[in-house]
Amino acid sequence: MLFRDAFKTSTRSLVHGKMRSILTMLGIVIGIASVIILMSVGQSAQDLIIGQVQGIGSNLVVITPGAPSNGRFSPPASAQGVIITSLQQQDVNALQREPSITAVAPLVSGQANVVYGNNNATESYQGVTADMFSIRNLTIGKGYQFTQSDVDSANHVAVIGPDLAVTLFGPYVDPVNKTVRLKDISFRVVGVLSKGGTGAFGVNQGDIVLIPITVAQKELLGISYFSTILVQANQNYNIDFVTSRIAFVLQQDHGITDPNKDDFSIQTQANILSLLGNVTSILTLFLAAIASISLVVGGIGIMNIMLVAVTERTREIGLRKAVGATNNDILQQFLIESVLLTFAGGVVGIAIGAGVVGLVYLGLSAFTSIGWVFAFPISAVILSLAVSGIAGIAFGIYPALQAARKNPIDALRYE
Amino acid sequence: MIDVQGLKKEYIEGETPTQALRGVTLSIEKGEFVSVMGPSGSGKSTLLHILSFLDRPTGGSYKFQGKSIDDMTDQELAHVRNKDMGFVFQSFNLLSRLTVYDNVEIPLLYSDILPAKRQELIEDAVKAVGLEEKLNTEAGRLSGGQKQRVAIARALVTDPNIIFADEPTGNLDSQSGLQVMEILKSLHEKGRTVVLVTHESQTAEFANRIIRVKDGLVESDKAITAHSLHGTLK
Repeated sequence: MLFRDAFKTSTRSLVHGKMRSILTMLGIVIGIASVIILMSVGQSAQDLIIGQVQGIGSNLVVITPGAPSNGRFSPPASAQGVIITSLQQQDVNALQREPSITAVAPLVSGQANVVYGNNNATESYQGVTADMFSIRNLTIGKGYQFTQSDVDSANHVAVIGPDLAVTLFGPYVDPVNKTVRLKDISFRVVGVLSKGGTGAFGVNQGDIVLIPITVAQKELLGISYFSTILVQANQNYNIDFVTSRIAFVLQQDHGITDPNKDDFSIQTQANILSLLGNVTSILTLFLAAIASISLVVGGIGIMNIMLVAVTERTREIGLRKAVGATNNDILQQFLIESVLLTFAGGVVGIAIGAGVVGLVYLGLSAFTSIGWVFAFPISAVILSLAVSGIAGIAFGIYPALQAARKNPIDALRYE
Repeated sequence: MIDVQGLKKEYIEGETPTQALRGVTLSIEKGEFVSVMGPSGSGKSTLLHILSFLDRPTGGSYKFQGKSIDDMTDQELAHVRNKDMGFVFQSFNLLSRLTVYDNVEIPLLYSDILPAKRQELIEDAVKAVGLEEKLNTEAGRLSGGQKQRVAIARALVTDPNIIFADEPTGNLDSQSGLQVMEILKSLHEKGRTVVLVTHESQTAEFANRIIRVKDGLVESDKAITAHSLHGTLK
């Protein structure tokens, strides 16, 4: 039998049972739509997170205190709440002498209540040096950034994020040269960051307070160590070489001979990206796996209906066999029917999924300030089409075999 | 054309085996018009099903056009059914939602006849049964007699050597039944072999040979001459 004829025969019988075909397809439609939605939402979330990390710059190296963790997915000790004091001013000085490094910026951080008049907010603050602005690509929207001499002489000046500026001062008051209180210490606001700055390390830059590191260490935290050192690698050097130099300098400085006993860890943007990429990919796959359960349910629905159809059409099968259809012809006809059902269901499911993803995107970008990305991964589309085709074969083969194996005379006599 | 020796067919229904055919021996030559008669349960339908390759015997030998059924695979049987045999059933077995044209096309779908030649074959076959005006009517909307004529057109369309008809007039009024039999007779006159199963003697007598079957065995096998036909009618 020509495939063209088989295809025509199959579509015809699906069209004759329109309502049933549509209801049967529904299971696959829902399954594929949920796979598409979850995969594309997962992809959007991944793009969002990775975009934020990329915002910190590709030649940025982050040094945190504490030994690097052994497990690939666990954060360094310093991030687990353990206080480690191994990063000191002498490390910064030593790194600054390295020719492969352009800039070194230590930072300390904490949380405090920020007060202006009757308005207040509990926000993260960071004690930074003047280099931090250039290393992190922070741009000033109003006023100016504080200088290294402000840092050296421990002046009480602050640069605040644009969202925090609105919270404290309202939309109409210019925050520059106003005085805010941070842990009951007065700071003069000298600048406001421009909007849309990318947040890194989970800190929302819109709400941040930046003050000279000297003030933060002595007056707010009472410490002399750093919580992080950011290093900007010289563009002329390979980033792996730079990290090895940093490790060497810090080992010398800390008197460490065994690299396994490092009391610091070094991460590059590439490290962080691959870690985050792994985590979010697993998450996306997990979501897709949940969604595919509904695909299996839909497939069983198809199998069920096809079995009913085979029984109902026993006489038709008998007639076709009597006039010369071979077992393979019958098998082919029923397989084409089930694959057509699942494939059409897949196409409709993809369309519905795309619609929902589009609505989510429109909703999120209209009502929130999250920089949600419209991601519609082509891999999800290909996967869905492949899965629906395979489901058609997998769930159609059993009913089709039942049909093909019928003895012509028994089938003709069936009542 | 058909050569049957000691043909047996046994069904297992539940625990007890039933012998539908208990050793039938007969041969049918090309161009004959044969009626197989017998009361219900005599095995006449079973015999027709085996002769028409719809079922396999459980004993004895059956050669169709010199080839033994035992040497043929199911697929080969399907090809012979398609190429050399035509079928007319008591209950028509049309696909009621398809048009006359599409119903008659079905055997061609399983043949090696090219799609370009099909339309002419279908139109000729439908014309031969006088239904050319109903070509695009759904089969379900036709009267019983018209349905059976469509079924004959479907049997004709692949230009088979032999046509098997299983109680073709059983579901028809006498007027339509007569019409159907006239068509079968004219097919025979054009050189085709026709094997007919019926329990009505009026229908059987369109043939030129009547084989009576009883309890799974051939009871009598008589050629009908003009003389004996006259005698029966009297």
